[in-house]
Amino acid sequence: MTDIKTQDIEALLEIFDNSPWQEMSLKVEGLELFLSKTPGAIGHSSAEHHLADPAPFPTTHATAPSAPARAISDGAKTKSTPAPVPDHWVAVRAPNLGTFYRSPKPGAAPYVTVGQTVAADTEVCLIEVMKLFTSVLAGVEGAVRKVLVEDSELVEYDQPLFLIEPA
Amino acid sequence: MALRRILVANRGEIALRIVRAARGLGIETVLAASAADHDSLAAREADRAVVIGPSAARDSYLNARLIVHAATATGCDGLHPGYGFLSERQSLAALCDEAGVVFVGPTRDSIKAVGDKLSARRLARAAGIAMTSGSEKLATAAEAVAFAEGIGFPVVTKASAGGGGRGMVVARDPRALADGFQRASIEAKEAFGDGTLYIERYVEHARHVEVQVLGLGDGRVLHFGERDCSLQRRYQKMVEEAPAAALPETTRNRLHKAAVDLLAAIRYRNAGTVEFLYDVERDDFYFLEVNARIQVEHPVSEMITGVDLVRLQLRIAGGEPLRIQQQDIAPSGHAIEARIIAENPDRGFAPSPGRIRVWRPPHGEGIRLDTAMEEGADVPPFYDSMIAKLIVHAHDRSAAVERLRAALESFVVEGISTNIPFLRAIAAHPDFIGNRVDTRWLESVFLPQYGQPKDP
Repeated sequence: MTDIKTQDIEALLEIFDNSPWQEMSLKVEGLELFLSKTPGAIGHSSAEHHLADPAPFPTTHATAPSAPARAISDGAKTKSTPAPVPDHWVAVRAPNLGTFYRSPKPGAAPYVTVGQTVAADTEVCLIEVMKLFTSVLAGVEGAVRKVLVEDSELVEYDQPLFLIEPA
Repeated sequence: MALRRILVANRGEIALRIVRAARGLGIETVLAASAADHDSLAAREADRAVVIGPSAARDSYLNARLIVHAATATGCDGLHPGYGFLSERQSLAALCDEAGVVFVGPTRDSIKAVGDKLSARRLARAAGIAMTSGSEKLATAAEAVAFAEGIGFPVVTKASAGGGGRGMVVARDPRALADGFQRASIEAKEAFGDGTLYIERYVEHARHVEVQVLGLGDGRVLHFGERDCSLQRRYQKMVEEAPAAALPETTRNRLHKAAVDLLAAIRYRNAGTVEFLYDVERDDFYFLEVNARIQVEHPVSEMITGVDLVRLQLRIAGGEPLRIQQQDIAPSGHAIEARIIAENPDRGFAPSPGRIRVWRPPHGEGIRLDTAMEEGADVPPFYDSMIAKLIVHAHDRSAAVERLRAALESFVVEGISTNIPFLRAIAAHPDFIGNRVDTRWLESVFLPQYGQPKDP
């Protein structure tokens, strides 16, 4: 299998956008892609993979995020409306503003995936501030239920990053 | 290249002021807010607000790395530091350079050259500017006493690393100096992380005057007239005016030239203020320090010159060649600013944070209010308690004083205590009306009378 390039994904997105299809699921070696025109939709199997996948959802990014002037008004004041979450799930929050990384280095496996059991002192992600990386701990024992932030996204202080169902 | 999007690294009225100035120039803004300020007026008016850290300034507004990271991650090409917080820290300017973000302010070398007071005094001396006799750094109280006996008492100790009254002790004899030296050094160390002191001859009847400048970065430095900020409590300014009406015209011109010469020598860039002590009896002035940032009281200079200094800051930082020349800047009339502070003058000026229930500021001709407050807004307890700046402008000083009195009279704030009643009493005092004040007047004349029953 040849490597999937950004252009390939963009081509797929274009086809999908122009099609009457509501959902598309693609699974090739090393990549799993789920596209949907329904905001907040989630694929049926191994949810952690496409949540972790940096490929953009066409429903949220109609074009590649190349125009920062647009991105600022889009990203600024609209908050995504999360699905109802069981009360006892605990959010792991950002200790400060920074860039969120799910894995210790580019290309490496993420610290945690959905469904994984964690201890209070399990590292769950990194927050980078000007090349200074700080690891964030789960803070609670339980199972990872949701990853709320895309890899290498800017997160703000106190922003929920993961949801954990306590053991 | 003009700036496209800037990060505003401050809060309160100055953050809002910068957001609006940027908008006027078509520059987008990202406000870096603490958790306490996530819903502030500045946060709402900015194109985007990001919460960088918790409410404590140490973990938010004073964390330079967080702020510069926020700037790069949100695609900003410039950063305005406002005043206070990190505005005069070399480290912030250096991190901006490192990240390729334009710092809206002087170069880091200039900040360093003028930021250390002893280094600034050397610059002033080289530019031929008078200053009070003063020492280099002094290691011990004994050294200080020996130096003071050479120049004569009274003397004042000063911290090399900063201002704001920290590390300042006025001593009238050797014993007081020996006692005060250690205390001043500890205070300076706590405030600035550096306990280095020097001493200067203390001028008994002095006015605080300062010149507003803008350096174009190519050796040209424009000035926007001077201000008189003699009304101070514990070295904190409370009322500021422009021009300094007490100065004879020839002295005024020499003062402007001194400020321009000092900063032209280092090809100073962007806004700055050169502060002087004016010795009323000798009709002479002495260099105090340079503030390498926009200052709280900049609006009084704007009111008399008709320019927007914050916009000019952004245009200079964007590399725009300014056509404005010194002869275009023609001050007219008189402006006075009163700082509205959430504090209770009847209880030792204790800060008075809380929710503003009623907010009815004055309006009308010649009245400007710089604030980020509104009815229902919270004054958080974590930061400086200044909540507004009331600025009036009129054709001359007595008309401006009258306008200030009327404006203060109609200013209604409920829910928190403010210094408005205190300011009203100042504005009605014959010494203030007659412009017979000096830097000690507020504490030595006005305060002892304030709240005392009037003689029948």
